Amino acid sequence: MEAAHAPAHGHAHDDHGHKPSGIMRWVKSTNHKDIGTMYLWFSFTMFLVGGVMALIIRSELFQPGLQIVQPDFFNSMTTYHGLIMVFGAIMPAFVGFANWLIPMQIGAPDMAFPRMNNLSFWLLPPAAMLLIAAQFMPGGGAGVGWTMYAPLSTQAGPAMDLTIFAVHILGISSIMGSINIITTILNMRAPGLTLMKLPLFCWTWLITAYLLVAVMPVLAGAVTMTLTDRHFGTHFFNAAGGGDPVLYQHIFWFFGHPEVYIIAIPAFGVVSQVIPAFSRKPLFGYASMVYATASIAILSFMVWAHHMYTSGMPVEAQLYFMYATTLIAVPTGVKVFNWVATMWKGSLTFETPMLFALGFLFLFTLGGFTGLVLSITPVDVQLHDTYYVVAHFHYVMVAGALFSAFAGIYFWLPKWTGRMYDETLGQWHFWLSLIFFNVTFFVQHFLGLAGMPRRIPDYALQFTEFNMISSIGAFGFGLSQLLFLYIVIKCIRSGEKAPDKPWDGADSLEWTHLPTPAPWHSFETPPVIK
Amino acid sequence: MQWPQRPVLDSDVSCEGAGLRYFRRRCSSFDGRLLGLVFGSLAFFSIAVSLVFAFAGAWLIVPFAGLEVAGLAFSAWWVLRRSRDFERIACDGDRILVEASEQGRLQRAELNRCWAKLVTAADGSLALRSHGREVVIGRYCGEQTRQALVRELRSRLGAQGI
Repeated sequence: MEAAHAPAHGHAHDDHGHKPSGIMRWVKSTNHKDIGTMYLWFSFTMFLVGGVMALIIRSELFQPGLQIVQPDFFNSMTTYHGLIMVFGAIMPAFVGFANWLIPMQIGAPDMAFPRMNNLSFWLLPPAAMLLIAAQFMPGGGAGVGWTMYAPLSTQAGPAMDLTIFAVHILGISSIMGSINIITTILNMRAPGLTLMKLPLFCWTWLITAYLLVAVMPVLAGAVTMTLTDRHFGTHFFNAAGGGDPVLYQHIFWFFGHPEVYIIAIPAFGVVSQVIPAFSRKPLFGYASMVYATASIAILSFMVWAHHMYTSGMPVEAQLYFMYATTLIAVPTGVKVFNWVATMWKGSLTFETPMLFALGFLFLFTLGGFTGLVLSITPVDVQLHDTYYVVAHFHYVMVAGALFSAFAGIYFWLPKWTGRMYDETLGQWHFWLSLIFFNVTFFVQHFLGLAGMPRRIPDYALQFTEFNMISSIGAFGFGLSQLLFLYIVIKCIRSGEKAPDKPWDGADSLEWTHLPTPAPWHSFETPPVIK
Repeated sequence: MQWPQRPVLDSDVSCEGAGLRYFRRRCSSFDGRLLGLVFGSLAFFSIAVSLVFAFAGAWLIVPFAGLEVAGLAFSAWWVLRRSRDFERIACDGDRILVEASEQGRLQRAELNRCWAKLVTAADGSLALRSHGREVVIGRYCGEQTRQALVRELRSRLGAQGI
């Protein structure tokens, strides 16, 4: 039967075992693993760029008064730090995870549309270059905030046009990626792998892709109307011409609030894989996790105006958005309960992925709780546009999404590279990140409660000490991430050989059916799931 | 000659005496209903949201929603077209019939059992060759089924192959 083996993998991938080399391997690659790797490296690069911008912000805020940068440049930094971190760092990181893991977790050979997958990725570098090039336009970068509110954005300099173009490109990439993910998960599952047997990471990405497809045209429309207001004489957001600047806010936040969950939900998926693996127990309440995730996604479309309590709205609308927002705490609470219940009486060990997952659990819950505080209209009216909001969303975005991404990278790094990372250094990375993250952002709650506004380069003297502490924490957090880079490079170059299944409790297909490292082509014939 | 009609995943090589029947579809976990539900609901939601904003004055969202729906429709069409791919082989008497539908194109080949032989095609896939004509087979099956197919065909073919 030797001969029969030869063509077994042949039809779909006749170059089995032959891996192209050189730069063109990456430029032309349609292989989901290569594209996943590119997404992850791109994301880390943008994380460093956005991080440098954050450090410029924190350097200026170390002391009151203007010390290092001009106010316009400061505003530009806050704008592009937000845009780059959201669209260039966090989202691509989870798309990288999706590319690497979804085909392997569902027993598929690749993504449903491999060429479109390649294009989705290669749209990102030009968009990133536009965002960076915007800094060098006449008048500098657009200091409009990542929300790009009109009328500020309709009056900003030429950098705004580059930013709008970049957002369009990023949106196209996201839509293509989402259609690819939805089709892959629904159409390419191995025989027997029903929807309710999917690993939770796949479920969370399926729901995220839905959200992305639903909201991206809204963002595209919003920035296009900004563009036509700027250059083509329309007055969508110009009150003098009969338009309405508050309409922009409604449109933006109809996109922007689901965007928060677009970032958070894949993070839930990663944590839902990591915690059971290190608890050596199946995930508690699998079905309720799926339904809770879907509920969060649905509710995310109904709460957008809680970002706009101070923009002016009828009290009935304020009440509705307040109650709808607090309702999100219910499915989120279900998820947190299930993660804790998974660990209950589990055979726990605390390797680096588990530490980051636990860090996520504690800090995301804290960020969720401050979100609940902000959902209360009268409280939000006091805290709107203060550092309390900055602290809240960094607990959700950094401690939520980034910690979960770190958990995922440490968890799957052996599968991706075939080598183990340095556990001691990994634990150092976790503890340094945890401590410096809290040093940076916990004190910002106090700054916000004391009334320090966000997006200002100078502040009153009474805020000095907390700002100094926050800036020191930011530099510590930034330097800790260089340790992460060292750990990953060390792992790739000289890590110990990883066993096929380094984590006892890992039970998804990539651990149970594939060798380590995962071969370049996997599951050319689908496994049958009992 | 009777074609096997039932798509079976693992045991789709059936033998009756000297005859052989084989049927295999491309692995596709989508069914038409789910496809309609998923892509239809997404398209409906996008259009509905864009229309609500259009009534509020922000009509420029509509073209983008339209473009997205076009993209969704193209993807659905592509998936549906490929999900109908199949391959079937029937061996009766002196004839071997191979029929394959790939992306809507149906290819049919009739080979003489005594002359046909199993070969490895240039691209590495399994094929039947006779009188200079080569027909790829075993596209959509797993290793186990492919081995069973090779075993059964080899015992029925007249010419020596792989």
